Amino acid sequence: MSTTSAPTGTPGTDTAGAAVPTIAARVRERARATPHRVALREKIRGIWQEVTWAAYWDTAQTVAHGLLALGVGPGERVAVLAENRREWLWTDVATVAVRGATVGLYPTNPAAEIGYLLAHSGARVLVAEDQEQVDKALAVLDDCPDLDRVVYLEPRGVRGRYPHPALLYWDDFLALGTAHRVAHPGAVDELMAAATGTDLATVIYTSGTTGRPKGAMLTVANVDFAVRTVTEGGGLADPPPGPDDLLLSYLPLCHVAERVFTTWSSAGAGVQVNFAESVATVPANLREVQPTILFGVPRIWEKILATVTIRVASASPLKRAVARFWLRVADRIGATLVATGGRHTTASRLAYAVGWLFCYRALRERIGVRRVRYAASGAAPIAPEVLRFFMGIGVPMHEVYGMTENSAIATGNRPGRVKLGTVGEPQQGVELRVDETTGEILTRHPGVFAGYLDDPAATAAVLEPDGWLHTGDVGEWVDGTHVRITGRAKDIMITAGGKNIGPAGIENELKASAYVKEAVLIGDRRPYLVALIGIEADTVGQWAQRRRLPYTTYRDLSAKPEVVELIRGVVDEVNSRHPRVERIRRFRLLPKELDQDDGELTATQKVRREAVTRAFADLVDELYAPGGDR
Amino acid sequence: MRHRPLLRTSYAQDLALLDTPAKRWWTGALLALALALPFLLTDDLLQLLAVCCVAAIGAIGLGLVTGYAGQVSLGHAFFLGIGAYTAAAISGDPAGRVIGLGVTDIAVWLPAAGLVAALAGVLVAPLATRLRGLYLAIVTLGLVFIGQHVFNEWSALTGGAGVGRPAATLEFLGQPLAVTDATATRDQKLYWLMLALLVVFAVAARNLARSRIGRAFTAIRDRDIAAGVIGVNLPRYKTLAFAVSSAYAGCAGALLYTVTGFFDPSSFSLLLSVQYIAMVLIGGAGTISGAIAGAFFITLLPRLTRELQAWVPFISTQPNEVPNVFQVETILYGVLIIVFLIFEPRGLFGLWVRARAYWKAWPFSY
Repeated sequence: MSTTSAPTGTPGTDTAGAAVPTIAARVRERARATPHRVALREKIRGIWQEVTWAAYWDTAQTVAHGLLALGVGPGERVAVLAENRREWLWTDVATVAVRGATVGLYPTNPAAEIGYLLAHSGARVLVAEDQEQVDKALAVLDDCPDLDRVVYLEPRGVRGRYPHPALLYWDDFLALGTAHRVAHPGAVDELMAAATGTDLATVIYTSGTTGRPKGAMLTVANVDFAVRTVTEGGGLADPPPGPDDLLLSYLPLCHVAERVFTTWSSAGAGVQVNFAESVATVPANLREVQPTILFGVPRIWEKILATVTIRVASASPLKRAVARFWLRVADRIGATLVATGGRHTTASRLAYAVGWLFCYRALRERIGVRRVRYAASGAAPIAPEVLRFFMGIGVPMHEVYGMTENSAIATGNRPGRVKLGTVGEPQQGVELRVDETTGEILTRHPGVFAGYLDDPAATAAVLEPDGWLHTGDVGEWVDGTHVRITGRAKDIMITAGGKNIGPAGIENELKASAYVKEAVLIGDRRPYLVALIGIEADTVGQWAQRRRLPYTTYRDLSAKPEVVELIRGVVDEVNSRHPRVERIRRFRLLPKELDQDDGELTATQKVRREAVTRAFADLVDELYAPGGDR
Repeated sequence: MRHRPLLRTSYAQDLALLDTPAKRWWTGALLALALALPFLLTDDLLQLLAVCCVAAIGAIGLGLVTGYAGQVSLGHAFFLGIGAYTAAAISGDPAGRVIGLGVTDIAVWLPAAGLVAALAGVLVAPLATRLRGLYLAIVTLGLVFIGQHVFNEWSALTGGAGVGRPAATLEFLGQPLAVTDATATRDQKLYWLMLALLVVFAVAARNLARSRIGRAFTAIRDRDIAAGVIGVNLPRYKTLAFAVSSAYAGCAGALLYTVTGFFDPSSFSLLLSVQYIAMVLIGGAGTISGAIAGAFFITLLPRLTRELQAWVPFISTQPNEVPNVFQVETILYGVLIIVFLIFEPRGLFGLWVRARAYWKAWPFSY
C-alpha cells in the first residue's frame, strides 16, 4: 500500500529562482498576441460587458502604477475583499506585476476575522467592494498598523459620506495610477523584468476548520507550475483549455480552486472568464453563459441534482414520466461509463443519442451544462452517486484533488480514465506517496508552497525538509494508479468497539439525497454512530407542500414527525449499504440552518465539527441517552 | 454570442425582435412558405388570403387601441369606411358618376386614406380621454351609426345605399399592380402585394409596441391612473392610440375593396366592427401576431364552415333550408367568442404561448 508514483514527465522542474513567467507576464503576452479577443465578461445592467485582453492588461497596468503610487513595494501584500469581478483580477495581476502578493478575503467574513487576516498578512492596501465591506475594514483599521489605504469599488453610500482619510475611490485610484504611469512609464515593466520564481505571488488563507486560518505562501514558481499543469500537462480538459472555452467564475476567488480556474487558467490558456452576478444567481448565469469548463464544489453539484429531482417530481404527469424514464436510462449509461472509465460503448452511445433528443439536450440546457466538455468537482469529498448522475446525462465529470498548500495540484481523474470514488491519478510532475503507518497522503512537486506566513512551527509540522508535504488526508492506492481518499486524518473516528471510521464517505452518501443539506457524523470514543442532519429547506419545503403539510419556519419544518420519517428513510437507505458498525443508530435533525456568522461553517461552507457538536451538545447527549426512539 | 442566445453583450442584442436562432429560422421559414403559396394554391383561395392580409392590417390597428392601449372601440367600421371612401375618391374617375380626383397611384391614395382616417381618430380621441370602458364602447358605437347614416345619404361620394361605387385602382407609377399577364395572374399578384404590405404594417406596429409609446399604451391599459402617476401624459397617448389605430383602419379600408373592386355603404355596419373585435379577441389582445392570426381565422371562417359542410351533410348550403351554413357560421362566431373569452382569454396567441411554454420548460414544468 505504499507505492510512490514516479513523476511522469516534468512540466516544472527546477524553476525556483530562475526567471519564470508571472501571471502578469502571461496576461501581457496574451494582450500582445490576441489583443481583441475577449478575456472577461461581467454582467452590468443586464448586459454582459466584455473586456478584451488589451483592455485587461491596460487596466491592470494602470492599477499596478496606482499601487506603486500608494507605495506598495516588492514582497508587500495587497488584500482584496470583494465578490468575483473584474477589479479582483485587475488587482491580482497588478499586484503580481509590481512583485507584491495578493491576499483574498471572503466577503462573508465577519469584521473580527477580517481584522485578524489583515493584521496577520500585513496588507498595505485593501480593495474593498462596497459600503458593507468598507464598514468592516474601518472597524478594524486601528488593529492593522500596516494598512495604509482602503480602495472601494462601489461609491454608493461611501463617497462623500465617509470622511476617513484612508479611503480612496477606485476611479480616483485609477487616476492616481494614470498620473504615475505618465510620470514613470517603464516602472512596472522594470519590476516585472526583475521578478523571480521565489517571489511571493499570493497568500491564501486556509479556511481553518480546526483553528485560526493559516496563510499559505505561494510563490511565482508555485503558481507557474499550477498554470502549466492545468493548461499543458493534461490536468484539465482534453483537448487542453483554450481561448474558445468559457467558464463561469462564481466560487470565492480567495479559495485556491477558483483562483486556478479563473485567474490562472485564463492567463495561461486564454479561457474566457464570465463572472456570475452573485452566488444566488448562479443557476440563471449558468443558463446564459453555458460554459464549456465548469468547476464546482460538491455542494453545487448536490444542489443541481436536488433541483433536477425536485423539478421533475413537480412536473406535469407526461413530462414527469418521460424525464423519469430517461433519468433511469441515464443512470444505466452512468453505470456503464463508470465501468469503462468514462468511455462510451456502442450501446450506451446509442441510448444516449436517443435520450439526447427526448431529454438530455433540454435538461442540460436548463441547468446550464449543455456545452460543458469538462466538469470537475473538488475542494471536498463528493458522493459517487452525484458524479454518476452527471456522467449519465452526458456531462464529463471528473473528481480532482488538491489543496492550498500544494497550489491545488495533486491528483485528478483524466478524461477516459475515470475511476469513480477515487480522486484520480497524480498529475504530471507530481510525486505522491501514501505513508505506510498512518495512511496519510504526501505530495512533492514544484507547486508545494513555501510555508505558512509567520508560522514556522505550523510549516514544519506539514512540510518536511526534503520537500514532502503532509496533506492531512488519509488515503490508499486503487489498482496502483488511482488514489482514494478515505478521510481527513484528524476526523477519523474510533468507536468504542475499536473500529476506525472515516465519516466523510457516509456523510456524503447522506448528502447525495435531495433532502439532506448537512450531515455531521459523531462517534469518536462513543458506543455507536449517530448523526446530526440538516435538511435542505427548499426541497423538503416543496415535499411538504406536495403533501399538504403546513409549516412556518425551518425549525417548525425540521420538527415535523413526517419530515423525520422522510429523513429516516434516507438514513435507512444509506445504512443498508454498510456493515453493522458503520451504521447510524440514531439521528436528530438540526433545528436551524448552519451559518458562518455563528461559527458553524467556514467561509467555504465547510462544517466545523467541534463548533457544531458544541452548539448542539444537548442533541448529542439525547442521542446517547439510554432508551429513546432507536 | 453564437450558440449562446442568452449571453447578450449589447443592448441591441437584448432588444432584437428575433433574438434567438429558433425565432430567426421559423420566421424565415414561415415567410418563405407565405411567398411560395401562390404556386401551391388556386386563385380563389389566393384572393381570400389577400383579403385576410388586408383584414390583418385592420385588426392590428384595432389591436393597438384596444389590445395595447386598452381603449375599447366599436367604431372601427367607421374608420375603415373613411379610408375606403378617401382612397376611392382620390383614385376615382373624374368624369364618373361619383366624386373622383383621378390620382390613381397607390403611393398617393394609401397614405391619404391613412391620414384622413387618423384625423378622424384625433377628432374622436377627446371622447376617449374623458370616458372609460363601457361608456367609451357605447360612444364609439355611436360613431358607427353616424358613419352609416352619412355614407348612405352622401350618394355623390358613396354612390348611395344599394348602389355603391368602384374601389381605388391598384396602380404604382403608372403601372397597374394587379393585372393578369404572362408572369402571374391577378390574384397571385394581389396576394403578394397585400402580403408585402401586411409585413410592413406588422413590423411597424411591433416596433411601435415595444417603444416608449407602446409601453405607455400598455401602462394605460393596465391602469390609467397609475400610468398618469408614473408620468404618462394620458390625453396625449390616448389621442395617439386612436390616431395610429385609425390610420391602420383607413389603410386597411382603402385596400380591402380593391380585391373585389366594388363596395357599397351597407358594408360599414356594426357587424364589421364586431368582426374586427372578434379578430382581436380570438387572436389574442395585446399582440401583433395574435391580431394577424385572428384576422386570418375570422376571414377564413366562412370558407371553413363551407368545407365543413362536406363532413356534416345535414347542414345545407341553401340559405332557405334549416340548418344552413350561414346560420352555422353566425352561431360559430358567437360560440367562439364565448369559448375563447372563458377558456383562453389570451386567444389563439395564448394557445401558442402555452404550447411554447410547455416545450420551453421541457423536461420540467416551470
